[in-house]
Amino acid sequence: MNSLADNAIMLKVKSGDLDKMGLLFERYHRPLYGFLYRMTGEKEASEDMVQNVYYRMIRYRNTFTGDGEFKTWMYHLARNVVNDYFKKNKVRHQDVSEVEARIGGGTLADEEIQKQQEINLLNNAIASLPEESREVLILSRYQELKYDEIAGILKISEGNVKVRVYRAIQQLKSIYLKLEQ
Amino acid sequence: MESEKDKELLISYLNNELTAKEKEAFEKFLAGSAEMRQESDEAGHIWEMMGQLPEPEPSAALPVKFYAMLDTFKASEADKRNVVKELWEKFQQMWSFQPKFQMAYSLVILMLGLGLGYFVNEKLVKSGKNEEIQNLSSEVQDMKQMMMLSLLENPSATERIRAVSYTNEIKAVDKKVIEALLTTLNNDSNDNVRLMTLEALVKLANEPMVREGLVQSITHQESPLVQSALADVMVKLQEKRAIKPLKKLLKQQDLNGFVKSKIESSIHEII
Repeated sequence: MNSLADNAIMLKVKSGDLDKMGLLFERYHRPLYGFLYRMTGEKEASEDMVQNVYYRMIRYRNTFTGDGEFKTWMYHLARNVVNDYFKKNKVRHQDVSEVEARIGGGTLADEEIQKQQEINLLNNAIASLPEESREVLILSRYQELKYDEIAGILKISEGNVKVRVYRAIQQLKSIYLKLEQ
Repeated sequence: MESEKDKELLISYLNNELTAKEKEAFEKFLAGSAEMRQESDEAGHIWEMMGQLPEPEPSAALPVKFYAMLDTFKASEADKRNVVKELWEKFQQMWSFQPKFQMAYSLVILMLGLGLGYFVNEKLVKSGKNEEIQNLSSEVQDMKQMMMLSLLENPSATERIRAVSYTNEIKAVDKKVIEALLTTLNNDSNDNVRLMTLEALVKLANEPMVREGLVQSITHQESPLVQSALADVMVKLQEKRAIKPLKKLLKQQDLNGFVKSKIESSIHEII
């Protein structure tokens, strides 16, 4: 139902009611920021990119046909923005050795610190995944998207999405174990 | 994992995208294999851990920046719309200054003019004016023909060349003109005039009389230039009747050496 409402709102924006974009901002700026931040690891840059995605949605509102889902279109624009960012900054993912150096040693004094360590470790493992694997994991785990929706965003088959997710989990597991040692 | 299908099932299982039936079947499948169960547990563990990562929160500045951007965009759109609106209003004003009945009046006059022109033209055609024009044009043609024939008699070679060039302007060339041209080709004292005449006659080569005249002219020619040009013409027209006079020409004692070899190769080409 939400998706239908999204499309209806976006079509209103398209017809000139630009204020309605505020509704779509309130609804999606957090997940969008999450996607961009997890892809790049850069807070400020991710906020700029959210802004950029919304700007593109307004600027190119005429290209929204309403045939597909709004979310698919939005993530499609977001991926373009991320790609532009990577092209400009020439950093796609971090090397495992760099990540290891950054974590450094810490005393595992109590449970909380240990948990924090695990979170850092996993964050760094995700950051060092190849971009394709990182993207598919973020979309499936954090963006509350179903595999067929991700297939629509990435323009590949649903089966292909699942195979990529499987491969990404295997990679993440191995990087995590490596960092843990 | 054994197969792609199993991988896909595991991934759907993790994201809770299996139906109750599929889920039950998959869990049964896992229970049957310790290896599968271990892989599924490990993947599930990573999946769970990922779920525990805190959600990144944007700063409070993000909405502020967004709404500022939206306002700026709206303002620029409104500006654009105003420019269009202004132009439209000016256009409408322009229209109101020009009384509509004047435009309609002009249009009616224009239509009347066009209609009258058409009517007059029709009448002219019907009343035989066209015939008069045709007569006039044929008179002009006759005059050109007469001028050409009289100019051919002119003592000046330049004038005679001009006369020959008139044949291009005469639409329907008659027997009289052809005879005059052939006479010039055979008897004119000037080589250039004869060459020009030959050129003019080649353009009329569809006439049997012209072809016949050209063939007969071969033996009349004494100038090597004209002889060689005629030989070329015969090859171009593929005129078999020319072989005999050309052979006759070859027998002439004082024939130019170049012309001789030219005629020999021409005979060869015609055959």
